[in-house]
Amino acid sequence: MACAAVLATACSREAREVGVTPPQTPPVGNEDPRIAAYQDNLYQVSEGGRYFAWYGCSGCHSETPNNVVNLADSQWRYGFGFAQVYGAIAARHGRFAYGKRVPVEQLWQLTAYVRDLSSHFPEKRRRVNADQKAEPVGGSWQGPQ
Amino acid sequence: MRRVPILLAALLLGGCDGIQSVMSPAGDGAAALHDLLLLSVAVCGAIYLLVMGGLGWSLWRRRAETVSEPASEEPALDRSLWVAAAVILAGLTILIIGSFLADQALFATRGSEALQLRVTGHQYWWRIEYRDPATGRWIETANELHLPQGRTARVALGSADVIHSFWVPNVAGKIDMVPGRRNLIDLTPRRLGWFRGQCSEYCGTQHAHMAFDVKVDSPAVFDAWLMAQARPANAVAGPVAARGASVFAGPCAACHAVRGTGAGGRAGPDLTHFASRRSIAAGTLPMTRGNVQAWITQPQALKPGVPMPAVPLSPQDADAVAHYLATLR
Repeated sequence: MACAAVLATACSREAREVGVTPPQTPPVGNEDPRIAAYQDNLYQVSEGGRYFAWYGCSGCHSETPNNVVNLADSQWRYGFGFAQVYGAIAARHGRFAYGKRVPVEQLWQLTAYVRDLSSHFPEKRRRVNADQKAEPVGGSWQGPQ
Repeated sequence: MRRVPILLAALLLGGCDGIQSVMSPAGDGAAALHDLLLLSVAVCGAIYLLVMGGLGWSLWRRRAETVSEPASEEPALDRSLWVAAAVILAGLTILIIGSFLADQALFATRGSEALQLRVTGHQYWWRIEYRDPATGRWIETANELHLPQGRTARVALGSADVIHSFWVPNVAGKIDMVPGRRNLIDLTPRRLGWFRGQCSEYCGTQHAHMAFDVKVDSPAVFDAWLMAQARPANAVAGPVAARGASVFAGPCAACHAVRGTGAGGRAGPDLTHFASRRSIAAGTLPMTRGNVQAWITQPQALKPGVPMPAVPLSPQDADAVAHYLATLR
């Protein structure tokens, strides 16, 4: 019984809210009440990881040491708050203009994913990357193998 | 009341026909499996009748005749045990031979030349690529498979995310699409017409809406279709389509490709000849102007959980994009 109860509690972090109205606007400050539904939900975080690959973010944001664009090193040039990271993705990428090209809900998911990265060991991040190995990345992708 | 059994039989037989049925084979692989199915039903049916007959016989037999003798000394029972064992062995042997022959038939074309295809499963849609026999180039489309009648098409199957399964019941058996693996299946369709394929391995929320249309054409019609698919998209004509194309170049082009324009995203289905297809969103809705616009405006309402996001567009922009897509024939 106790084991079953302990196991079941982990399920809530995987909950998939199908059909809810997604956010239409950027987060209002770092305490926006909508943040928890993304940052604390593993499904939304992992969807953020897929979009991260699809939009080709991994082309620049690798984990090589001493790289300013290493997102997993816990160093945040523009701050670690949800709204700050969101703003950095949406408005600080120059000609890529992700704020215009990426829909708002995906930006929420991407933000949650990026903020989640530094909370894991490198082994875990590598395993997640291995899971996503076959996902289409960028414009030159040639199939899963 | 006497008509009820006839009606029931007619309804059951009605399930045997159709565009997504193993009971109406239209290809070599499906025909071999159909024969194996009939053989299994015949053998298992015969065994079933024998067992039920024996059970009925033993229930109805008069008990008094046998009570006095111990069972092991009854010669009739000894004989019938041997007969039963022989019947079971014979039935299993027939099934094994049938299964072996069906297997041989499924792989009979493997050594021969064939049209090369790649099909990749994505969460809730199918990427379909043809190798142009003349140039060796890969021609990409999505969610609609065209096959030449009487010619073998060799499909290399892969997956970009989770395990899917490729199944066109009328044409061939099913085979899984496993991430990190390439599985092959040979399709040799024999009957012209439209059929339907369906993902047959649960792959997520919208597994049920992961289908595709299959069209079997005569070889000449197929070649013409493939040539048309190889061409880049139609030129933009008219102010509304031009507005649609410029809106499309923003958020849509990040994931969708329209060959011949700047749109080169690879994450979503190739839309170069989108309007030539029969349905949208992997067999979810028929291809109509209204459905396309509804899909652009609110994909999550039509197919909740699909990775395509709702892109906030003004009604005029959504209308222009739908208009533009309708010109991509």
